Amino acid sequence: MTSFALAWRTAKRYRARTLLAIAGVAVIGALLFDMLLLSRGLLLSFADLLDSSGFDIRVVSGEGLAARLPIADSARLADDIRRLPDVEHVLMIRIEPATVLATGKPPRGISLIGSSDAEQSWRIVKGSSLGSPAAAAEACPVLVTRPLAAALGLTPGDSVSINVRPPGVASALPAVACRIFGIADFAFATNDELTAVTTMEAFRQAMGGGQPDADLVLVSSKPGAPPGRALRAIAGLRTSLRAYSNEDVVAQFNRNGFAYFRQISLVLSSLTMVFAFLLVATLLTVSINQRLGEIAALRALGIGRPRIASMLLWESALLVGGGGLLALPLGQLLALVLDRILRQMPGIPERMHFFVFEPRALAIHLVLLMFTAAAAAVYPVWLTARLPIADTLRREVLG
Amino acid sequence: MPLVEARDVSRVFPMPAGPVVALRNVSLAVDAGEYVAITGPSGCGKSTLLHLIGCVDTPSSGSLLFERRDTSQLSEAERGRLRLTRIGFVFQRFFLLPMLSAAENVELPQAEAGATASERRARTRELLDYVGLADRADHLPSQLSGGEMQRVAIARALANRPALLVADEPTGELDDETGEHVAALFDRVNAGGTAVLVVTHNPALAARASRRLAMKSGRLVE
Repeated sequence: MTSFALAWRTAKRYRARTLLAIAGVAVIGALLFDMLLLSRGLLLSFADLLDSSGFDIRVVSGEGLAARLPIADSARLADDIRRLPDVEHVLMIRIEPATVLATGKPPRGISLIGSSDAEQSWRIVKGSSLGSPAAAAEACPVLVTRPLAAALGLTPGDSVSINVRPPGVASALPAVACRIFGIADFAFATNDELTAVTTMEAFRQAMGGGQPDADLVLVSSKPGAPPGRALRAIAGLRTSLRAYSNEDVVAQFNRNGFAYFRQISLVLSSLTMVFAFLLVATLLTVSINQRLGEIAALRALGIGRPRIASMLLWESALLVGGGGLLALPLGQLLALVLDRILRQMPGIPERMHFFVFEPRALAIHLVLLMFTAAAAAVYPVWLTARLPIADTLRREVLG
Repeated sequence: MPLVEARDVSRVFPMPAGPVVALRNVSLAVDAGEYVAITGPSGCGKSTLLHLIGCVDTPSSGSLLFERRDTSQLSEAERGRLRLTRIGFVFQRFFLLPMLSAAENVELPQAEAGATASERRARTRELLDYVGLADRADHLPSQLSGGEMQRVAIARALANRPALLVADEPTGELDDETGEHVAALFDRVNAGGTAVLVVTHNPALAARASRRLAMKSGRLVE
């Protein structure tokens, strides 16, 4: 009869205690698992979002990503970048606040994006893209987000007027007549974002006819190019610019934007571990106190401390392991619900998730539970190891 | 030659209200194959003496020799090994593991002693047959009567062929008739060559011993 078999029989014998412990650990473990998913979920989701755009380098003005000021002579910069041997594709972006006016509707403030590439970073859900022949023939073809289409009742083929209103300056830019070609989902758009995208040429007209400088240049390296070489080459083109790899962007957001979630998840994970430890340690201790006579008798019969200790460790492992395994589907289910709730917060891109599964989270979850199981068994093991056999037998008879 | 010998042993329990002397300078030798019964009123020190002789406790003074070895010189692990292989314990409350069957309870000390699975099975079958419970091998303790549980406990105590069987009030939880059956079993165990030391209030059980000792206030009085 192995220690594991003894622990298994004990777990079966004390069914109510076992079920209680497993249910408790499952609930606590689910919270722990969710905290682990949350601790890096936004980061992973954000990295996935960046990678899915197809660009691995972002070039902005010297003020950094947050300021997003226009890059002087960005068209020449884009040409210079295109000529670099490790660069495959370059896209210029300019974003400005604007007002859109549709027939019979009040004006709505939007973000207007000018893009040098008609086929990038969005998914058409209705209509056609800016790269279609009909759009190419139009002076100001426009794609709109679903929230904007819903707000103004727009469908492909509708006409709107767009008036760019650069921030911080008094503007008398004329409104430009545009035609809706499609309704699209934008990778970084939030679920309530009113955004329209048009060609750089149309954007130039909307800005009054001058050549507008891009405030963001997106670059994709050639497949197989040595990591970092294109980035270093771009950074060397103009010292006044800043070039970021996707990893740099993620690291920057990790430092600035996601530290809050990491800290919360660290505190809550630690608390859930303490709860799991207390639950299992309490149940094991109570169970041991109920079985002191049995254990003293086993010791009197010559059953050694190591076997009794390993039996208790196995008991703890069975309770924590059973609960920990149940915690995974339970935690995943809970994560889906919580993710849905949190994603309703304003300003969160639709494709971002708070709870993202990664094997690392599973591994940490299992290691933490193993640690909890071992820690929870320490006191009961110590209790049985120092159990005075004769005194306990005497007390049991008197009791 | 004594199997176990207590020489002038005393046992003092420190208590908050002051030390309690449970045994006072007791000397006792039990020979191999002997059957000794110790009687006396509650609290006279019978169980304390039994625990010392059974090596689950150590004397505050004096010495205890088991097969000429001074047990005070043994480590806890060595005393555990001695109990496992040379001493069998029978308790008033049986203390069978409730989640194990009768056979598994008997197998447990054998497994701890390193017996192989086939050796354990054979010995367990033999012992359960010996105590008349071969047909209850797969029953859990909760499915057995008090007398049956005590017989399983005796089989468990004999599992590793001990030289000494110590029993603390083995009939204390049993009715007279069942107690008689258990007492008869001790006779058979002793007749097989195993020394038996019984602490009991039961005069009928004590009467079966070849030597009867009485205790009073921590001393042997006859």
